Amino acid sequence: MNRKGAIASVKAVSNVLLAAFSVVSIFPILWVLYSSLKNQQEFSVNILSLPSSLHFDNYVKAFWDGELYRYLGNSAFVSVISVGLTILIGFVTGYFLSRFSFKGRNVLYAMFLFGMLVPVYGLLVPLFIEYRNLHLLDHRLFLVLPEVTFALPLVIFLIESFIRSVPIEMEEAAYVDGANLASTLFRIVFPMCRPVLSTCMIISFLNVWNEFPFALVLINSQDLKTIPVGLTNFVGQYTINYPQLMAGINVSIVPVIVVYLCLYKRIIQGMVAGAVKG
Amino acid sequence: MGKKLPNPKWITIYGFLFPGIVIYLFIVMIPLALSIHFSFYKWSGGLSKDFIGLHNYSQLIRDAKFWFSFRNNMIVTVLSIIGQLGIAFVLAVILQAKWVKFREFHRTVLFLPVVLPAVVVGFIWNLIYSQDYGILNGVLKGLHLQSWIRPWLDDPKIVIYSVTVPIVWQWIGLYLIIFMASIQSIPAEVYEGAEIDGATGFKKVVYITLPMMYDTLRVAIMLCISGNMKIFDNIFVMTGGGPGNSSTVMAQYAYNTSFGKFQLGYGSAISIGMIILSLGLILLSRRLMGGRTVES
Repeated sequence: MNRKGAIASVKAVSNVLLAAFSVVSIFPILWVLYSSLKNQQEFSVNILSLPSSLHFDNYVKAFWDGELYRYLGNSAFVSVISVGLTILIGFVTGYFLSRFSFKGRNVLYAMFLFGMLVPVYGLLVPLFIEYRNLHLLDHRLFLVLPEVTFALPLVIFLIESFIRSVPIEMEEAAYVDGANLASTLFRIVFPMCRPVLSTCMIISFLNVWNEFPFALVLINSQDLKTIPVGLTNFVGQYTINYPQLMAGINVSIVPVIVVYLCLYKRIIQGMVAGAVKG
Repeated sequence: MGKKLPNPKWITIYGFLFPGIVIYLFIVMIPLALSIHFSFYKWSGGLSKDFIGLHNYSQLIRDAKFWFSFRNNMIVTVLSIIGQLGIAFVLAVILQAKWVKFREFHRTVLFLPVVLPAVVVGFIWNLIYSQDYGILNGVLKGLHLQSWIRPWLDDPKIVIYSVTVPIVWQWIGLYLIIFMASIQSIPAEVYEGAEIDGATGFKKVVYITLPMMYDTLRVAIMLCISGNMKIFDNIFVMTGGGPGNSSTVMAQYAYNTSFGKFQLGYGSAISIGMIILSLGLILLSRRLMGGRTVES
């Protein structure tokens, strides 16, 4: 084979390989999406065919009879509060770690770094014991605390490195004008950090929304469960009816997919920066 | 300007840092201390608990089930390093070429599984593996490979591999984007120089791309280890660690011991063991790979 031919075939093989992996990545998700619109009978005749008519009643049933609306509400509640707290605490902590030198700074820095390395699931049983002794189990607000803690290290590091790249002059000018620290922080620095803050918001939202083991262990009552845990109950009820089950799965991932498709550039950027930092 | 931003008083700094420190102590440090405490007791969650010293730990060291679950973590980790990093590297190199079509599309699609909840990934793969209605068996039938059909999640011999595939599937995208970013940061002149010296496609990858990415690869391997030491969600929903304990990983074992048998003392000891093993492996890999950076 001549050189040109060889290069052409390498290109062809590469493109095919890439396409194959993309199909493998997306097809299972698409399959679950379109199969959820079939009825059970149609699905069992041919598992791969597209639905001949659209059965949205699977969704109505999942949402109301399967009580997914309740789990969605709980997840929304936990996510909003967790993300808000994560951003607030992460911003303040990241700011102080990047701008000032003080006693204990390195210890704190190491502590948050440790938070990125420690296998958080090792804390599952310990945290359960602590919560049980303090009677904090089964409170949505206290479920927020571990969610915030595990989202914090990445957020702190992203914000810290962003602030280091921002010139300090604005803050100095504000200081000369007599602004106090808190108002400089929230009126001047916070708006400047908007790009990195939105990245942090998206990534911590995804983490909190998807988080399973702590939500599983720290919440017992049916009414307070978040969507990943509630979904396991739902799946347990409908193990035979596949399209029904798939509708339930889709209800739980629609928020995630919408956020991803709208903001994937941000998400990818933030995750690369966070990973390289770790 | 003139005046520089002064360092605030110590008390002011710690006032602002207070919430972060408190939440961290409450969720990480105190539970850790508590579980070290409880790991010295035989305790099933009730009022009575017996101090038994290091007995839980000596039991842990001799606990075949614990080491079996650690072995499972290791299998998943090794396969993930090979599968996720290997595939991601190949795809990243291809995606970097100028002639690739639909680059943005591929990247977006390949990364999508990363943002899904691991629980959902588990459920989706349960459906794929399903005996009668699964895609996998359907495809095998279509290819006239009926003899390859297995009870994917019910055969103790292969179940650990069956549950690893979804993990590899989900995380390829993360390493792909990390590698792509790293390849992009390699200066074009390096390649140009090599081209003048006569290096072609494959050689460029082996002699330039790979060595230039060494630091990134190191980070990726460490991410892969720490990520796989804590796997739980998808295996929990796919097999619950079964059949028997053939797909039980450490987190699942700690969970079963603590919440299935309600041996909270021993469950604490397992958790501590798990943390020590994971941190140990991460530090070990950092040391092993750190040494070579100096040479290269």
